[in-house]
Amino acid sequence: MTTTRASLIFRGGTILTMVDAMPRVEAVAIADGRILAAGDEAGVMATAGEGTDVIDLGGRTLMPSFIDAHGHFANATQIVKWVNVSGVPAGPVTCIADILRVLGVHVAAHPVMAGEWIIGYGYDVTNLSDGRQISRDDLDPLFPDNPVMLIHSSNHGAVLNSAAFAAVGIDASTPDPAGGLILRKAGSSDPEGLIMETAFLPIFGAMPQPTEEELLATFDAAQQIYARAGVTTIQEGATNAKDLRLIRKGGEQGRLYLDVVCLPLVLEVPKLVKEYFPDFHGGPMDLPDTAAESFGTYRNRVKLAGIKCLIDGSPQGKTAFWSQPLLTGGPNGEPDWRGQPLFPPELIHQIVKELAAKNIPIFCHCNGDAAIDMMIDAARAAGITAEQDRRTVIIHSQFMRPDQLEAYVELGFTPSFFTVHAFFWGDVHVENLGRERAYFLSPMASAIAKGLHCSNHNDFSVTPVEPMRMVVTAVERISRKGEVIGPAERISPWQALKALTIEAAWQIREEGEKGTIEAGKLADLVLLDADPTAVPTAGILDIAVVETFKEGKSVYRAPVSA
Amino acid sequence: MRATTLPFTVIGGYLGAGKTTLLNHLLTDVGGLRIAVLVNDFGSLNIDAALVRSHAGDTIELANGCLCCSLVSGFAEVLSRVKARAAEFDHVVIEASGVAEPLRVAQMAQGFGFPIDALLVVVDGERIERQEADKYVGDVVRRQLRQADLLLVNKLDLVDEGRRGALRDGLNTLAPGVPRLEMVRGQVPLPLLLGRHLGGALPSVLSDALPGIGADPGEAGQHHGERFETWTLRLEGPLRRSALERFATGLPAGIHRAKGFVVLAEAPDHPQLFQLVGNRWSLEPAEPGTALVGGTALVMIGHRGAATKEALQAFLSDGGRAGATWPSAGVGGC
Repeated sequence: MTTTRASLIFRGGTILTMVDAMPRVEAVAIADGRILAAGDEAGVMATAGEGTDVIDLGGRTLMPSFIDAHGHFANATQIVKWVNVSGVPAGPVTCIADILRVLGVHVAAHPVMAGEWIIGYGYDVTNLSDGRQISRDDLDPLFPDNPVMLIHSSNHGAVLNSAAFAAVGIDASTPDPAGGLILRKAGSSDPEGLIMETAFLPIFGAMPQPTEEELLATFDAAQQIYARAGVTTIQEGATNAKDLRLIRKGGEQGRLYLDVVCLPLVLEVPKLVKEYFPDFHGGPMDLPDTAAESFGTYRNRVKLAGIKCLIDGSPQGKTAFWSQPLLTGGPNGEPDWRGQPLFPPELIHQIVKELAAKNIPIFCHCNGDAAIDMMIDAARAAGITAEQDRRTVIIHSQFMRPDQLEAYVELGFTPSFFTVHAFFWGDVHVENLGRERAYFLSPMASAIAKGLHCSNHNDFSVTPVEPMRMVVTAVERISRKGEVIGPAERISPWQALKALTIEAAWQIREEGEKGTIEAGKLADLVLLDADPTAVPTAGILDIAVVETFKEGKSVYRAPVSA
Repeated sequence: MRATTLPFTVIGGYLGAGKTTLLNHLLTDVGGLRIAVLVNDFGSLNIDAALVRSHAGDTIELANGCLCCSLVSGFAEVLSRVKARAAEFDHVVIEASGVAEPLRVAQMAQGFGFPIDALLVVVDGERIERQEADKYVGDVVRRQLRQADLLLVNKLDLVDEGRRGALRDGLNTLAPGVPRLEMVRGQVPLPLLLGRHLGGALPSVLSDALPGIGADPGEAGQHHGERFETWTLRLEGPLRRSALERFATGLPAGIHRAKGFVVLAEAPDHPQLFQLVGNRWSLEPAEPGTALVGGTALVMIGHRGAATKEALQAFLSDGGRAGATWPSAGVGGC
């Protein structure tokens, strides 16, 4: 019998295991990409042998690396080629001059050919101190020959420069389409820059798309968005057939060093069945009996965890589906607006029934309480119960009602919450919904009290990959204006960190492999420069990632500051 | 966005109302028109295999020049593709999803530069009362009804004679002033659906019978020719815009479609193309080179008995002033 010797041992700092029964240990040993031992220093050091690398943490904090409970990796492969023109803190922008500066920095680093598009994302006039929209006249001197498009933070519009207007064929003679806007220069019909809604949609649809090779070439940069934040399991949470092909190919080519969990989009199921089960002939929503075998196992770092369903839109866009009207009307000024479902309930029932019958996990996007009601009805009709341990993830679960938590317990639903909304849109939610409803946003304390497993997510690229902002918003729930959005739903930093680690692992059935520091689990670890459970909450956001490990191998190391 | 002249029809209505049945009729009996049909899912479209010329990805090309395109790649991408092939088609028809608002779909299409022909909403005559009271979809069903240019009330054969009055009253309340056409199994004449092609190459064929009228026996044993009627109207000399407005908005309820050429007194050298569907009507400059009759020439289609030709002609001739006493043909029964 041979005794395995550690290749790597960490000691000399805080080590958070994320195990309630033993939250801290003195040392961790790693061998063959897994945790060999975790406990008191003497015991762990006993696994050391010749060649064991012993790393002194120097008082810093080691913990399990983070699991992206919900987000969109496919967006990362696009965005790494784009310029972040978001306002602080999602980006660097406070004024028009900032936008011009970051565009300049971007093209200096990534030279463009004449005529090539330059795309920015996250533009929003409310972030600008100039008190006006950026115009084509601001952009033209810098980019006379390249079309520039700054996509609005809502993804419903953009600012174009003159080369872009020429490329898409919008000029002074183009009328404003119904339901859309082409902002004009004062006293003229010349487009000024901003176009929104139905004026933007056709342009976005006609944009040149990157090739598969171009997208594959971004995989390292795309994974670094996560690795530098301490995330080693990424989610692609609405995967279409094309993106699944791309990600699988990236895996086959050995381009993935982080795990990617894919949730094929329910709308793509007929296409995927045709592609992966060419001999199967059923109705549009029928699945082969063996479909479940395609789920739950990593191949080349890619795993299908379940099917992504969706019932409503977004609360800040007023396209979520609530049981009671908003206080501020609908997105087009409709009175008495409570949103609407994206699909008829009959269809949701049919889908949930088929997925449950074929034992495929369901990840369902529900933001408003009426959308959640629809999902509860569908699950009951399909005979789903908690005892079946299906771990049906209700993504967002943002505007639940207190009574729905009972139904989650009964049906085995597990919420993946979105607490950074308290910061980014908390004030908007108070305005639209009133305090009582807004304060129950992502009710983590109530859900934990019911014994529910809850994760927390950034929904990248809706918000940046920022685990520490998830922690601080779960702990403080403070809005941009400084209001505490639901004081009763604040949780401890320890609970907030569990939502990013072991609870997120449980939702994708990886709690045996990831999410805690325990012997036998994968050595997916993150080294932080401070302990989030020990610093004052105001300091949590300043905690930086020093190094990230995937199965014991360093996948990110922070540049050493001078 | 550069405009196209390819007219765009939205077919809306809640799940199960009969939109797909309607499209199937359309695809198999298009009267020579090349139609691009955009659907959410091929699975529910039962296209005659003999009609399929080729099938690639999310597109099916039909032998009759029509095309079926799935919206699975996304509305914007599909519309861009159809627009790029605009010269190959005469009309675009989109089957909106069961919970879509037809007005939003139309606005997006307008954003792409498609002129809107009509917002048609199919109503499930048997289940509409339950649907509009549903706690999840009631709101959207009611919005769909109110946004229609013309409601196509389907499945009338499944509604007892005694309940039809209540159904009509209910629709009067839910969608006040929206014209309706009652039908069975999606049977409705093509010119009513795609009014831009009403009368073909106007005005030379104004006196000809319209395609589809009186020629389609229909599954339910009803003859379109027995239910629908066409009227052709002429007016020498120009017409004031205000008179045309009064005419267009004062027509009897049973007139569903109209098309023709108008010479306005305000711009006698620029003949206009006039189109009407239900409550929606529009004027646009006639294509250069159109053979003109020097005045107004209109063809109209509606329920048999909705009006007499003489009354309509008189209404046009006196500038839309004498329309108060239309016969109460209403939407016409089945």
